[in-house]
Amino acid sequence: MTHTLVVVWAGFAIGLIFGAVGQRIEFCLTGGLREWWGEGRPRRAAAFVLAVAVAIAGTQLVAGLGLVDLGESLYLQAGFSWLLIPLGGVLFGCGMMLARGCGSRALVLLGDGNLRSLVVLLCLGISAYVALTGLLAPLRLSVAEATTVTPELTAPSIPGLLESAGLGPGIARALPAILLAAGLAAFALVRLGLFQTPRDAGGAVIIGTLVPAGWVATGYFGADDFDPVRVESLTFVAPVGDAIQYLMFSTGTQLAFGVTVVAGVLAGSIAASVLSRSFELRGFESPGHMLRAIGGGVLMGVGGALAIGCSIGQGLSGLSTLALPSFMAATGIFVGAFAALRLAKQ
Amino acid sequence: MDLPRHFSRGILTAAAGFALLVLGAPSWVNAQGRAAWERIDAATELLDGATPRAGSIRLDLPAVTQDGSSVPVTVEVDHPMNPDDHVEALYLFAAGNPSPEVAEIHFTPLAGKARITTRIRLDGSQTVVALARTNRGEWLAGQRDVRVTVSGCLSQGNSSDNSDFMQARVRPPSRMAPGEPGEVRTLINHPMETGLRKNPDGSLIPERIIEEFRAELDGEKLLAARFHRAVSANPYLLFFVAPGRHGELALRWEEGEGAGESATATASIPD
Repeated sequence: MTHTLVVVWAGFAIGLIFGAVGQRIEFCLTGGLREWWGEGRPRRAAAFVLAVAVAIAGTQLVAGLGLVDLGESLYLQAGFSWLLIPLGGVLFGCGMMLARGCGSRALVLLGDGNLRSLVVLLCLGISAYVALTGLLAPLRLSVAEATTVTPELTAPSIPGLLESAGLGPGIARALPAILLAAGLAAFALVRLGLFQTPRDAGGAVIIGTLVPAGWVATGYFGADDFDPVRVESLTFVAPVGDAIQYLMFSTGTQLAFGVTVVAGVLAGSIAASVLSRSFELRGFESPGHMLRAIGGGVLMGVGGALAIGCSIGQGLSGLSTLALPSFMAATGIFVGAFAALRLAKQ
Repeated sequence: MDLPRHFSRGILTAAAGFALLVLGAPSWVNAQGRAAWERIDAATELLDGATPRAGSIRLDLPAVTQDGSSVPVTVEVDHPMNPDDHVEALYLFAAGNPSPEVAEIHFTPLAGKARITTRIRLDGSQTVVALARTNRGEWLAGQRDVRVTVSGCLSQGNSSDNSDFMQARVRPPSRMAPGEPGEVRTLINHPMETGLRKNPDGSLIPERIIEEFRAELDGEKLLAARFHRAVSANPYLLFFVAPGRHGELALRWEEGEGAGESATATASIPD
């Protein structure tokens, strides 16, 4: 097998596990935040927090062992827009509340028979490319150029900050990774009480592990002297658009990691849903309901494009690299979700 | 014929229309849109009045690409490669670039097939054109449209790191079917500065490119390439060695004034 074939099959396997586990434990940041902030039930939010902790620990481990050069990833590029990253996060946060689920959740729900998610995904994928390469791209690029900052650091990340404060590279990586992973895990398990539902905790650990697995797939198995694969892990904005594009242009494009992850999530969710006999076709109840899905999909697509990632892309994969822009994007997503929840209550 | 009158007349009209369309199409194409190579001065100069046979060069490029700075392109000339009749030279042009010349490749029959893969810079959506000349003086042509969108991601790569500058890499043929030409991959770390880019302080970065690449097998000329600035950074070239050849592959990259880098590899291609 060529290295590109290894990478795309690894992507499919990772997606398959994500889809199946996500379907079983209803892994969802949107639902988690809504239940936690709105109803005082933090079970699903806690699962997301635990997954972040595992992703950070695992990713920093594979990077520390030298298996993967995270510096090649999108999240650790030297310059980033101080405006578009948090702004995109806020738009994405609003969108995921409006559509009642982010891109990855929509894929899992589609596998469950929820046809509303198909509308969300189509709107998300197309509007992401409107902002990435289409009608809004010139505007995005000119704003990005005017607002890009390049911090004087070895990398725009927490380890980069600590190194500039005089710490050695090893300790600058290990210290924040251990503290953050342990702190978040303790918060999820003890403070939010996830230890009471070991099934959710187990599922969250598996999903968190898929992030370093993605880094290893693209950054280690995809490394090649002549034709290296782009270093990336789980994300669900551009890949949803890529998947739509692949359906239309497959004879003229190369199959990439993100697309097989999307296909895998859908397949995994369908399998888990059918095996557990929970598959059921569902549609919209009213035009207003459909409008919410469309609006949410568009906000997520555009927001995710501006923020270079979604709740999974920046929230799991981005945070796992300890990149500063990912913390800005994640904060934006929380603010947007909170604002949307407040507005919806009134 | 017992067909109703209006029916047969309908068929006749349709047939006449169809015939007009079929017969008229080529002249219409000639009148409206010329072949892409005709619009490239460098290509018409090269041809010097000759008319190339279209459709015998296959260009393989992505239909849509988000990264115009590195577009993979495979060019294969559908022509034998024996000493009597072989492809001698292959020229690549990008009609929409500031300077359309991309690269030229000179083959010998030792290459086994007139096929290469490289990565090129494309300044926007355009037509990529290939011309090939055989040792008998026959010209062949091929073209392909590419859509290049702006970069979807802000990734600039960490190319500022030049610790591996001029580091040459070669992967000799492996896993070959008997009787098939063997595939050689080569790459050298080099920025291929176009001379069009600016420093942060606004001054132009001077042009600096790998101009020439040569490959020899046991001292015998196999392939030579001339790169222009439309060849992407870290110039990559995949080419072939004819079956039944064994020996030491000597590669040489040159930057103009004699500065360069060499690499060797062993090639052993089964019959």
